[in-house]
Amino acid sequence: MADQPTAYERFIQGILPENPVYRQVLGLCPTLAVTNSMNAALTMAGAVAFVLLCANIVTSLIRNLLRPHLRIVIFTLTIATFVTIADRFLAAYMYQMSKTLGPYIPLIIVNCLIICRCEVCASKQSVWTAASDAAGQSIGYALALSSIAGIREILGTGMLFGFRLLPEIWPDWVIMVLPPGAFITLGLLLGAANWIQIVQSKKTDNN
Amino acid sequence: MTTSSSTISEKSERFQNSYLLQAWLVIGLALFFGIALTGIQIALSSRIETNKKKETMEKVPEIILGANHAQNQAATDKSLKIEQRSITVDKNNRKKVYTVFETRYPDGKPAGWVAKASGQGYADKIELLFGVDPGATKLTGLFILEQKETPGLGNKITDQHWRDQFILKPTGRMLKVVKGGAKGPYEIDAITGATISSKSVTTIINKTLADIQKQLASLAANPKEDNQ
Amino acid sequence: MTSQSEKKSDPQPESIKPAINVAPSPHIVDGSFTTRRMMYDVLIALTPVICVSVYLFEMYAVRQILICLASCLVAEALFIRIRGKSITLMDGSAAVTGVILALSLPGTAPWYAGVIASVVAIGIGKIIFGGLGMNIFNPAMVGRAFVMISFAGVMGAAAYEHAGDAVNIITQATPLNAFKQSGIVSPLTDMFWGTTNGSLGETSAIACIIGGLYLCIRRTASWEIPFGVITMMVLIAGIKDIAGPFSGRLVLHHLLGGAALFGAFFIATDPVTSPLTRKGKLIFGAGVGALIMLLRLFSGYPEGVMFAVLLMNALTPLINRWTIPIPLGEE
Repeated sequence: MADQPTAYERFIQGILPENPVYRQVLGLCPTLAVTNSMNAALTMAGAVAFVLLCANIVTSLIRNLLRPHLRIVIFTLTIATFVTIADRFLAAYMYQMSKTLGPYIPLIIVNCLIICRCEVCASKQSVWTAASDAAGQSIGYALALSSIAGIREILGTGMLFGFRLLPEIWPDWVIMVLPPGAFITLGLLLGAANWIQIVQSKKTDNN
Repeated sequence: MTTSSSTISEKSERFQNSYLLQAWLVIGLALFFGIALTGIQIALSSRIETNKKKETMEKVPEIILGANHAQNQAATDKSLKIEQRSITVDKNNRKKVYTVFETRYPDGKPAGWVAKASGQGYADKIELLFGVDPGATKLTGLFILEQKETPGLGNKITDQHWRDQFILKPTGRMLKVVKGGAKGPYEIDAITGATISSKSVTTIINKTLADIQKQLASLAANPKEDNQ
Repeated sequence: MTSQSEKKSDPQPESIKPAINVAPSPHIVDGSFTTRRMMYDVLIALTPVICVSVYLFEMYAVRQILICLASCLVAEALFIRIRGKSITLMDGSAAVTGVILALSLPGTAPWYAGVIASVVAIGIGKIIFGGLGMNIFNPAMVGRAFVMISFAGVMGAAAYEHAGDAVNIITQATPLNAFKQSGIVSPLTDMFWGTTNGSLGETSAIACIIGGLYLCIRRTASWEIPFGVITMMVLIAGIKDIAGPFSGRLVLHHLLGGAALFGAFFIATDPVTSPLTRKGKLIFGAGVGALIMLLRLFSGYPEGVMFAVLLMNALTPLINRWTIPIPLGEE
């Protein structure tokens, strides 16, 4: 256990150095599907954060009872439960948003990010570490989703959070709020993230 | 002694290797989560149901009276009475059920009908509500409940400005979509670059009206007076 | 780590002159057959098309071609500099992309549409894949698809009608749009000479044929591709004509109308994004022709050349794999 990262390290790593989307390239289905508006992206990030936090805590609590060959079943069971809770709450209190997100809320169940964090961190470390890991990863995920959604919404509609940002004469780049826009934006941002990392590692090499 | 102890250890080994026992955590968790989810479902289901209903119901007065009127009425607590009905139509030996909402003023006078209809759009199914006056002689309004038309083009069918064209259109003949300015009473102006979406909406209304217009008119002429 | 990867990315250091080079397509055997010559050939072949479009659409054509040409050249210079390679403007590929892009747009398309299409064509269509020869999709069509979907309101059917109005010769929908919306078949002679409405370069069948034949004779474009496209289109349109209300004109209508000939001769024949072998080229051409007809007859769009070419571009690596020539003497 000595070589496992501490709670603080887990938290920090999740935000940028091990960003779920840009570094681990996990959870791409919602990343591509619901990032055509900021509101949808942040709601999705919130739902993922809730599920991730709860699943990590529960998994960490029962980590000593887990059997290696049954652990995936238990992860999935736990995740599915919290996803259903999130889905029902959205339908009850944010009905319009739940309609917009459609099947992508139930699809959080198969979001590899969550099962990955259960496996990598929560099934091996204490509750506190697992919770801070979940918090860090959630912030990283929210940052990734909102960066993509921001670019797409501004270019595609001239608005952000539904408020007009660019002048009326801005010609909406409709393709950006359609599926191709998601792929183009994600690809370019991933490329940029890689480029930044290469530049940084060059700097550290020189030092 | 030795034999009995070996059987005990064998037994306990078999006991430990039993799949059911190994899965005790899975079964326990499943039970616990199941109960928890049932609780949440019981607590929230009524709310979700009202959400779904409200979405349709809220729009009904607007479609009959127009947005301003509907707000005034709601503010003065004279909102319309809405009753949901279903109309079954036999069409080529296939039964088609339409959901309509009968609306009445607080004094019991009929205010009009709102029908729910759907059909194929350019991209996906379009679901809409449209209103007619009590005799089903003219349209009173249109609201798009669900559509996945192209953003920036086809999804302009949800624009208030475009939908307002339908208000007061007579229902005697089929409505027709034209490009570059509607002139006649049965003409609807197409959205630039989205003729197909405009046509889809108009066709849905035409078809539904053709199916239920007579029934609505006869229902309005001989209302089932159950409370007056 | 980084220094190693840098070495890898540069396969031919100056000090070692290898006997055999690995170069991206277009592959050239004949020494005089350079990329530059091919690109200038394409520009020469485009001259009749450009002349007709300038004659028809006047300032609109000139303006659109200049915008796209300039933006493509600037974008090429910019992106090549970002990638740290030597400037490759002189090989003419960016100019060809710019002209073909301009000719595939409606004349009244707003200036920003041309600029954005050019930047997307060069940037996302070509440079991101590693520059000329490495791109999967025809750059001009990538740029066009981006703006056609983005600005459908000002680029779609309405823009064409507006363009016709603006130059006061053709106040009508494009032949294909008129056919799709109201079943009107335009006069075939108009479509042959080009006095109809449409994208800048697509209206005149005769100009496309002259330019296309020049390209095929010069062997800059392979004749197999336009042959495949036209055969398949004739076949499908013929079946449709016989199956539906027979008019006998549907085949020619589809062949002369829209961007079919322009696409067959100038867009589908791009040597980078089309297969290498003769058999492959025939399959590619037939696929483009079939998809054009499929999209025209069954989709919401009146025209399908752009998407047909892009879809077949995606299949090109697969076609290349299917049609590897068997060496002489082998089974």
